[in-house]
Amino acid sequence: MSSIIEIKNVSKEFKVLNRREGLKGSLMDLFSRDYKIVKAVDDISMTIEPGEIVGYLGPNGAGKSTTIKMMTGVLEPSSGEILVNGKIPYKNRTENAQQIGVVFGQRSQLWWALPLIESFKILKDIYMIPDSDYNNMLEFYKSLVDIDDLLHKPVRQMSLGQRTLSDILAAFLHNPAIVFLDEPTIGLDVSMKAKIRTLIKGLNKEKKTTVILTTHDMGDVDALCERIVIIDHGKMLYDNDIEHLKGFFGSYRTLKVRVDDDLKVESEIIQGEFEDLQVTSDDEWISILVDEDKIGVIDVFGTLQKTHKISDMQIEEISTEDVIKKIYEGGVK
Amino acid sequence: MSIKKYLTLTRAGIIEALQFRLSFLVMIIGNLLYLIVIYFLWKAIYASAGTDVVGGMTFSDTLIYLVLATALYNFMEMYTVWEIGRNIQSGKIVLDLLKPMEYRRYLFWSYSGSFVTQFFLTFLPTFIAVSILTHGAISFGVNLPLFVVSVIMAISINYSIDFIVGTICLYTESIWGINIMKQVIVLLLSGATIPIAFFPEPLKSAMFYLPFQSIYNAPLTVLLHGGSDIESALRLMGMQLVWVVIMNVISIVFWKASLRQITVNGG
Repeated sequence: MSSIIEIKNVSKEFKVLNRREGLKGSLMDLFSRDYKIVKAVDDISMTIEPGEIVGYLGPNGAGKSTTIKMMTGVLEPSSGEILVNGKIPYKNRTENAQQIGVVFGQRSQLWWALPLIESFKILKDIYMIPDSDYNNMLEFYKSLVDIDDLLHKPVRQMSLGQRTLSDILAAFLHNPAIVFLDEPTIGLDVSMKAKIRTLIKGLNKEKKTTVILTTHDMGDVDALCERIVIIDHGKMLYDNDIEHLKGFFGSYRTLKVRVDDDLKVESEIIQGEFEDLQVTSDDEWISILVDEDKIGVIDVFGTLQKTHKISDMQIEEISTEDVIKKIYEGGVK
Repeated sequence: MSIKKYLTLTRAGIIEALQFRLSFLVMIIGNLLYLIVIYFLWKAIYASAGTDVVGGMTFSDTLIYLVLATALYNFMEMYTVWEIGRNIQSGKIVLDLLKPMEYRRYLFWSYSGSFVTQFFLTFLPTFIAVSILTHGAISFGVNLPLFVVSVIMAISINYSIDFIVGTICLYTESIWGINIMKQVIVLLLSGATIPIAFFPEPLKSAMFYLPFQSIYNAPLTVLLHGGSDIESALRLMGMQLVWVVIMNVISIVFWKASLRQITVNGG
């Protein structure tokens, strides 16, 4: 089967008025024609296959939401080409809407004053979902998460977690080919996050729904995504498997040691001994980030053992979070 | 095209409105207060005029007209401008645009539930009360079906005007001032606050050629005088039909053109 989303050299520019400071500046702005062009998305290309869960990552303001809006058809790209399901989204927005589901973390598409089940019924009619499909979907939802209590609760009385869960269910209700989830786990507690991850994973597996997920929570990425795409300043930095990501900056491991003496002082001494390595300390551990392509963890440990009295040690794989943080902070060289 | 997906929005609107019981009470009290103000205001106007008939209307003619105009206003007012403006500012418009339904229709049908509730809760009781209290100032004949058709056209014109003003909010990104201006113009020029009969002659004929009088003056005139003067009632409705077409075309075209503003410059 051919790919479901194709993005070719897409850029998006916005025209923004240069605002000036203060009252005088604001008054002058009223007559200003001084625009600057902001490039929110800069020459991005990718293809997404049906059934994939793609983590779309980047720091705040990187251009993630802009890309998603272009894929949904709410925004028109300034240049380049996007095909979703073989169609140009912004030209066929209403048609495209039938094929996609959307959740924007901070906004709800549900009917605020009504119980959830009413929202579902409305969506059923709007999307013209056949009765049997609708009932099957509800049954399937019930097998994944406990929604009996939620169904008859007005949305405005729900907690943030319940509302987000409901919004995700609503987005999948018409069994769309693609679902866009924009920061779905923002502000949720640990157990709700876990629930939502189970739900997304389950829906993706059973319904073969393609999921595009933006998030700042690396737990989401580790739990759901096999492939991640990272952008910053509108430019694509990375597009590959999550496994490759860890080798992206060399094969890093973290060596953690505990010593009997004052950790802060010791860590400075160690930093002095290994100038190339990044040494940090907290209340319990001294962490040394080791690039295994250059020097083995065991070698470092061996050297340390000669000069320091080590009471405990751990070796950690570098976490996705660390790698992403490095990419965000360092950019790609 | 299935009508069901639109009617489901009407149904949702009705259920939604029924969730807020207290707001009905507050609205009814507010209306009563407004009607009391109107009563004394016009009583004073007629007293100071020194004649029983002003602008061809007696005191009770005026009062019946204005009471029904108020009821009609409560029934037809859609707050579309607020809704569009708020949706633009909060960004919720993105979610609405992603419904498999054209936004202009989606918004209209989302509101249609309030027509039904307002009709039964404000317009119908007022209408019955007026017709009982005035002992037959409103005739029950061909004017009633004509009135229904006329109101439907009025709703369409009113919605188109609201939608055009709401679309302007896309450019201004502010709602309040524009909405107040729209409200004042519509209420004054439509004959909702002052019967058109009271306006001076050049203004009166100018108003006849504007779309606004088709919103309140036309249906009310059809209701009150349509029984006796079918010909002028039909002429008013013909005028309405023309405005329905014109305003709908303008609002659709303007919206299509403005949608580019969103899709090009971001919502």
